[in-house]
Amino acid sequence: MKKLNFSFAIIAFIALSVFSSCTKNDSVEPAKPLEAKIYSNLTADLVTVNPANGQTSGGTNRFTLFSFANNAIVANADSASNKWDVGFRGTTIIVNGGAIRTGQGGAFIYTGLFDELKEVPSTATFAQDNAPTSLAIPTTSGMGWYNYNPATMIITPIAGKVLVIRTGDGKFAKMEILSYYKDSPTTITLTTPQRHYTFRYIYQPNGTKVF
Amino acid sequence: MRYFFTLLFVAFFSILHAQEKLPADSLKTLNLGEVVVTATRTEKLLAAVPMLVTIINQQQIKAMGSLRLNEVLQEQTGLVIQTNHGNGIQMQGMNPDYTLILIDGEPLIGRTAGTLELSRLAVGNIKQIEIVKGPSSSLYGSEALAGVVNIITENSKTTKATLSSRYGTNNTLDISGSLSLSKNKFGAYLFANRYSTGGYALLPQTFGQTVEPFHNYTLQGKFNYDFSEKVKFSLSTRYFIENQQSNFDIGEPQNPNFVSGNGQVKDMNFNPILHYKISDKWKTQFRFYNSVYETNSKLNYLVNKEVYDETFFRQTFLRPEIQTEYFLSEKHIFTLGAGKIWESVAATRYNGTQTFSTNYAFLQYEFQPVKKLNLIFGGRFDNHSAYGSQLSPKLSLQYDITPKIALRASTGVGFKAPDFRQLYLNFNNAVAGYSVFGTEELGAAIAQLQAQNQIAEILLDPSAIGKIKAEKSLAYNFGFKIKPIEKLLINLNFFRNDISNLIETQVFARKTNGQNVFSYRNLNEVFTQGVEIDASCRLDQNFTFFAGYQFLQAKDKNIIEQVNNGEIFKRDPQTLAVSRVSSKEYGGLFGRSPHTLNVKLFYENQQRGISANVRGIYRGKYGIGDRNGNLILDDDIEYVSGYFTWNMSVSKELLNKKLRLQTGIDNIFNQKDPQNIPNLAGRLLWVSVNFQISKN
Repeated sequence: MKKLNFSFAIIAFIALSVFSSCTKNDSVEPAKPLEAKIYSNLTADLVTVNPANGQTSGGTNRFTLFSFANNAIVANADSASNKWDVGFRGTTIIVNGGAIRTGQGGAFIYTGLFDELKEVPSTATFAQDNAPTSLAIPTTSGMGWYNYNPATMIITPIAGKVLVIRTGDGKFAKMEILSYYKDSPTTITLTTPQRHYTFRYIYQPNGTKVF
Repeated sequence: MRYFFTLLFVAFFSILHAQEKLPADSLKTLNLGEVVVTATRTEKLLAAVPMLVTIINQQQIKAMGSLRLNEVLQEQTGLVIQTNHGNGIQMQGMNPDYTLILIDGEPLIGRTAGTLELSRLAVGNIKQIEIVKGPSSSLYGSEALAGVVNIITENSKTTKATLSSRYGTNNTLDISGSLSLSKNKFGAYLFANRYSTGGYALLPQTFGQTVEPFHNYTLQGKFNYDFSEKVKFSLSTRYFIENQQSNFDIGEPQNPNFVSGNGQVKDMNFNPILHYKISDKWKTQFRFYNSVYETNSKLNYLVNKEVYDETFFRQTFLRPEIQTEYFLSEKHIFTLGAGKIWESVAATRYNGTQTFSTNYAFLQYEFQPVKKLNLIFGGRFDNHSAYGSQLSPKLSLQYDITPKIALRASTGVGFKAPDFRQLYLNFNNAVAGYSVFGTEELGAAIAQLQAQNQIAEILLDPSAIGKIKAEKSLAYNFGFKIKPIEKLLINLNFFRNDISNLIETQVFARKTNGQNVFSYRNLNEVFTQGVEIDASCRLDQNFTFFAGYQFLQAKDKNIIEQVNNGEIFKRDPQTLAVSRVSSKEYGGLFGRSPHTLNVKLFYENQQRGISANVRGIYRGKYGIGDRNGNLILDDDIEYVSGYFTWNMSVSKELLNKKLRLQTGIDNIFNQKDPQNIPNLAGRLLWVSVNFQISKN
């Protein structure tokens, strides 16, 4: 059986080489596969948390804005522009689109594996930030990107939730939150510094919906 | 250490065994002659009951040297102690919420988060414990979904007085006394118990102990008077009070903030019963059961003595009931009953005093068409003021295939009514900002919050869901009672429970402060299934061996479906990589051990007044809690490994059996797991003295 498989592989390889050489068109470069990037420890309005009651103090109430294209934080002064794509404050994630934003952004939550999502589904509907209480990515535990465990008071990103983002300037990216805690520790306790996002994303600069 | 103890056992039992053998039968192995009341609400020979019933008699409890009910139940086949705001019992894989606990046939009230703390019950006055597995809502109504544990207490058959005391590790002291008087038409039985313990600390470096010191008192009085052969009156009363300290740290490791205080639990029962024997064929009982359960606690900050939390809870239960048995003939027996229950609760986090009531009636027909076949049809109708009505039918049969093998099968419906919390809770967490409302409060509460502009979005319209319904189960039990030889009895039972309408917490609305409004809703469906094998064997005149095993599967049907659809994922905490959870990985409900086992060897030599035993209880690996964020049991790190606990005791009777000395070790090998199993104290050594005098 193994031998047979091997033979098939050889035949397939030869056939593919022949076909590809036949169809080769020198003017089009083969598209480079997009690379997934990981951004670690993006701080999202750091506060001091009282572990007794979960009360926070010392925050600025500002979102940390992020641009996928530049893989960098965008200054808060540029909040009324389409330079940023997503913003983070506590467990709240905002997009740059909707009645209360200036950009063309939006978000769609895909359930599945990050790597499996090769293209934005045609059925996807992008929600937008239309009011502080009506955001594209729901802020409620279990309904957006995270689960809150009331017993341990720990925030965990829901595995299998991929945030498909339309950026401030109308391009597409997919992102997956990996951790809400500093340095993505394996064991999280009440005293582990929170509001440190680590996420993985793929940004498609050419404006298509293909990743 | 282990080997040393093993050797000690072997040596000990060899010595005992070498002694002359004399008849002994106080530890009934093949308890077919025993009478049970729980299965049918009538006195019935255990051998003729077509349900799975376990009896634990007084001799066994004494031989074990146990003090509280949880200690006795945890050694029984198919029962596992499950802790959630107290020590409750898991039966056929179902949470403690679903087992009804009765004292002399009357329900105990006072559950916290669904668990009735079993250590509230002293065992010094128990005549026998009857455990019926499988739903018994057809007779008992709500809560009897997984099964029923009925504690039958002593009564005044003789004139007798006892005094006993036990002292052991953790400064645990138990003192019990009882007085039984019987004269002509009058009888009285009085029991008093004081239990105190210093508790224990499994994590000594933290402020506050794993179990804080507590002490409690139990007083019980049973009185009976026979007006005539036909009319008899009895009165049962019980009072329990417990005080426990509370100490914990709500601060951070660098910046501790200690809180300290006291909590009190009170529990009272009062039950007059009038028995009227109209004729040889017709018996009637009137009962008027009354129970009150109260708790209160006050916690202060240690630093400034300001109040941290002050709570109270008061629940009442009042139930008149009439029950009639009619013996048409040997082959046809009818049992009929009807009653009304009034319940109330007043507590912190509730608006005023909430009340509800239930009207109910039940009917049972025992039919013996041929000598080998015993059939029982039964059903109960409960009409509840808050959540609608319930019909709970049940059918059971026993067929003696041969004199040595009997087949036993039953199917029935069980239910559990929504509790006070699920109906009437009214709680706004001022600090964190969220709210929780019972279903009856939700509509008005949301309207009020909306009027105050506190609601950002309604996620689920309460009126679209309709009234909350009782949690319901459909159960099948099927098995054999096998007695291949006189000395051996084997019980085999397969079970399956399909539970629907499970009440879960659900977010109904989002507040403008970003927090949620929670309430309750009928949501999930789960099943539990498995097999239980129980064997008892009289090895010779002195030795009796018991062994039991349960295989269990308990899973959430909705989760199975989601897993099959590939909709549930897990994240590896180390690599942060996400993968799909496979159906093989899904481990079912938390806290369920697929394998549990017990082995017990009892020795009894009545002539010499010596008894001894060694008991081993194994709880197989089980899920402890979600560790990878997907809220289900699916990863190796989410399990606690299986463990054995071994207990032993030895006793000797002196002074013509008036004095009994006993000593024992619980958890001989000092099994501990401070993080995962806080209710498992380490090794406990104890000694006890029992003195009794009786007339005749």
